[in-house]
Amino acid sequence: MTTLSDAGTDGAAAPRVDRLGVVIAILVAVTLALPFATFRATRIASGTGLRLFDALPPMEAAAVTAVLIAALVTAVASRSPVFRLVLGALAIGALALGVGAAGTHLTPTDNPYARIAPASGFWVGVFATAMLVTDAMVRLKLGPVGRLVALVATAALIVALLASGAWSHLSLIAEYRNRADVFWREAINHVVLAAGSLAAAVAIGLPLGVLAYQVRAVRDPMINVLNIIQTIPSMALFGILIAPLGWIAANVPGAHAIGIRGIGTAPAFLALFLYSLLPMVANTVVGLTGVSRAVVDAARGMGFTDRQRLLQVEMPLALPVVLTGIRIVLVQNIGLATVAALIGGGGFGVFLFQGLGQTATDLILLGALPPVALAFAAAVVLDAVIEISGKGKA
Amino acid sequence: MIELSHLTKVYGDIPVVNDVHMEIESGTITVIVGTSGSGKSTLLRMVNRLIEPTEGRVFIEGNDVSMMPAHELRRSIGYAIQNHGLFPHWTVARNIATVPMLLGWDRKKVAARVEELMELFQLDHAQFAGRYPHELSGGQQQRVGVARALAAKPALLLMDEPFGALDPIIRAKAQTDLKAIQRRTGTTILLVTHDMAEAVHLGDRIAVMDGGRLKQYAPAADILARPADAFVDDLIGSLDRPFHYLTLGTVGAAVEPGEADGAPLAADASLYEGLGALLWSGRKTAPVVDAAGAPIGRVSLDSIAGRAARPR
Repeated sequence: MTTLSDAGTDGAAAPRVDRLGVVIAILVAVTLALPFATFRATRIASGTGLRLFDALPPMEAAAVTAVLIAALVTAVASRSPVFRLVLGALAIGALALGVGAAGTHLTPTDNPYARIAPASGFWVGVFATAMLVTDAMVRLKLGPVGRLVALVATAALIVALLASGAWSHLSLIAEYRNRADVFWREAINHVVLAAGSLAAAVAIGLPLGVLAYQVRAVRDPMINVLNIIQTIPSMALFGILIAPLGWIAANVPGAHAIGIRGIGTAPAFLALFLYSLLPMVANTVVGLTGVSRAVVDAARGMGFTDRQRLLQVEMPLALPVVLTGIRIVLVQNIGLATVAALIGGGGFGVFLFQGLGQTATDLILLGALPPVALAFAAAVVLDAVIEISGKGKA
Repeated sequence: MIELSHLTKVYGDIPVVNDVHMEIESGTITVIVGTSGSGKSTLLRMVNRLIEPTEGRVFIEGNDVSMMPAHELRRSIGYAIQNHGLFPHWTVARNIATVPMLLGWDRKKVAARVEELMELFQLDHAQFAGRYPHELSGGQQQRVGVARALAAKPALLLMDEPFGALDPIIRAKAQTDLKAIQRRTGTTILLVTHDMAEAVHLGDRIAVMDGGRLKQYAPAADILARPADAFVDDLIGSLDRPFHYLTLGTVGAAVEPGEADGAPLAADASLYEGLGALLWSGRKTAPVVDAAGAPIGRVSLDSIAGRAARPR
């Protein structure tokens, strides 16, 4: 039992208790007490919560419980980040495989409409152990490349889990199976909407930011207007855009042909683009004004033209802040694009709002989980890029 | 020759530089000294047109600087500032290569020039060329800044408080090095400082500015001996004046015939250093040797003291 001996020596050196570890341990204990899986006779019937030992055969239930208890003890007693990382990952794996096994175990052979879904215990457990893993990764002080590798490994494990069929009896996957082709079409819609509006915001916002930096008189009015746009709720902005876009579609020749309508992708795209402008412009201005006065003075004094100074000195030095703007915009757009489904813009929101309409929790999750995962991945990737771009510029 | 012809710069209603007229001889170091707000930096920045004068003109070797595009003018003039302004995202070598690259020199010539300059400024090429500015000490950063300013062999170098951010020991060394490099390259230097000691140490001529006006423009010894008015007098500081004065002369100039005991002094040491050596060793006289180490006589406290007195 290395855990215990580690705890002994650590305790002697520093008797301080790891507070986060205690919280994680409490959450893991709660996991064991809460229902692990839900059984429903049909997809929208109300469900029955089943604890671990009711949801799984005894051997499997005992195995999952053992791993969770080991993670609980580690969270409190071990200070080794590697050890915490390994046990956190093992616990997540046990939860994921366990809930898949519960699906297989609980699905009655005679009722194809019965649905098995992860219950509160599973979610709390995933939250707690994910916290253990992320905390361990922060303590390991992974570099940008290390974090990217970890992200790819995580994605690969999720793909492997889904491909293995271990979850095939879970209702979330059943919902996916029923609309697999639509799912991927809307996934592409979602990404195009989020990334396309980002690209447009970069193409327009970056020059606007440079203009606001160079022409002092433009700066405050521009930022103010963009601030006001930012305060309009997304639903209201979609509504506001319906009338002018509808008018353009009806009156400008060719506009309808290239997809401009009062509802659908066009207003969604335009709204996301407008929301993206403030972070882009503001971060460009902040990045450029943040370049040291001495550096700008030296560049002027040595004979850079204004253009050379902007491209060779000011923009490269502002880049980390500009990239931070891009990160904000991308994460924000991946989330906001979900709402676009309300006006026929497509994306994962389609499933979310269908699910809400049918009170089908699993369909809601099918619409909600992919954008969350996408936003998380985008944040990790861009953070790594920002850190790499900021190298050598202390 | 550089001529600053009746330069005036007005911001709002306030003249920051007020009808300053100066002629600067090529190949010399001229130091503009004054308190903050005296207009000294503004005056300097009008030479390479970082600030355009309200009135007056600048001529370099007879050419009016306002006649050529500002960026081309600036590439032909060296520029070094306080806090060096090195580009943090470029290596030391790339920083030094800035102006040659702007001028479109070919890569080989640039690389050779960078190596030459790094040697001149005692920066080991193998060790430092690939480093980033934040990886250097303050003194090294400052040397890179001056090397960068000299990269395209400008005939004129403008320096705005170039040693302001250095600690006293490194500053003294940087000043001595600059003087030696200037003597070798013959570059005309126009340097701004608020430090009178620096002005006396470096300047062939000193220009004193106050409230936008040029109060006095004369060789260092004249400024010390005959301050034009109360302000200049005040700036020099009455207590330090004899010591400033002694930094201008050499031991060689105070040599008298005879012999003395103890460690010899070098003839090219300043009288200030000579005085210090005598006082500290408790001697009244010391032998003096020339550059080759041959004795040429002795120097006494009295003869040094005589040279610290106000000239009549």
